Amino acid sequence: MNTEFVQNWFSQVKKGTLSYIILIILNEKEYYGYELVQEIKIHTTLEVAEGTLYPLLNRLKTEGIVDSKWVEQESGIPRKYYTLTDSGKATLTEMKKIWSALGTAIHKIEK
Amino acid sequence: MKRIIFTNPTAQKIYDDYFASVTSCISILSPTDQQELLMELNSHVYEATHCGVAGNEVDILVDALHKLGAPELVLQPAIAYKKVQQAGRSFNPKHILQALYLNVANGAGFFVIGIIYLLILAFGSLAIIKLISPTHTGLFVQNGHWFAFGYTSDLPDGLIELLGNWFIAVVIALMGIFYFLNTLLFRLLKKR
Repeated sequence: MNTEFVQNWFSQVKKGTLSYIILIILNEKEYYGYELVQEIKIHTTLEVAEGTLYPLLNRLKTEGIVDSKWVEQESGIPRKYYTLTDSGKATLTEMKKIWSALGTAIHKIEK
Repeated sequence: MKRIIFTNPTAQKIYDDYFASVTSCISILSPTDQQELLMELNSHVYEATHCGVAGNEVDILVDALHKLGAPELVLQPAIAYKKVQQAGRSFNPKHILQALYLNVANGAGFFVIGIIYLLILAFGSLAIIKLISPTHTGLFVQNGHWFAFGYTSDLPDGLIELLGNWFIAVVIALMGIFYFLNTLLFRLLKKR
C-alpha cells in the first residue's frame, strides 16, 4: 500500500468534509467554538487541528452560512456561539443531497 | 480581552507568550478583527483549561495550546482571508499590497520551483554549448578576478578559462544539486 498517497488523500477528504460536518452539528443546536471541537471529536475519528476551525467558521460566517454572537459568562471570558442561518440550512440540505448521490455512485462502482 | 489568570507562574508565562505571539501575528489586521480573533482564541484556551480535566496546570495548558496549534501556522489562512476582505472594503493601497503579499506567499514556493527549473535547463544548455564552442564557454577569470561563468562571445586579452572539460562535469553536478533542491521544495509544498 502507498501510505503517503493514502494520507494525502485522507487529508484532502478531511478538508473537504469538515465544513459539511460543522453544518450537520450546528443544525442540531448552537455551539461555542470549543464545544464544537469536542462534538466533532465525539462523532468522528477526524484529528482536526483545533486552531484551523476558527478560520473556517469565520469564512462560513462571511458566506452567510453561520451566524455568531458573544455571550457573557460569569468567568468574565465570553463564549462565541455559532448557529446556522436560514441560508446555511438550505446549503446543508443541498450538501446532503450531493453527499448522498456521491455515496450511492461509489457504492454502485464498488459492486 | 480579559486575560486568563493561572496560579502556576510557568503556566502564566506560557499563556502570555502564546498570546504575545498571536498579537504579533495578527498586528497586520484592523483593530476590530484583531480583537475578535484574540477573544475567540482566549475563549477557547479558557474552556480547554477549565473543563474539569485533572492534572498539572502547566500540562493542561501546554496540551490545549498544542491542540490549538502554533499561531503563525494556524492563523495564516485567517489573516490572509481577513486582509483580502479589509482591502476590498477600504481600497487602501497599503491593505491591497499586504493582502497580495499574504496570498502570493502561498504561490511563492511554486514560483521559486519554476526559477530553479529554468536554471537546470540553462546548466544543461551550457554543457551542450561547451561541446560546440569550447573556447567561449567555461569559468573565465581575468587578472585574478572572476569574469564570467557560462558562454561569452567577448574574449579580451588576459582571459583564462579555468575548468576546461571539467566545466561539463561542474554544470551537470549543478543540475543534480538544483534538481534535488527542487524535489525537496516540491515535497515540502505538497505536505502543506
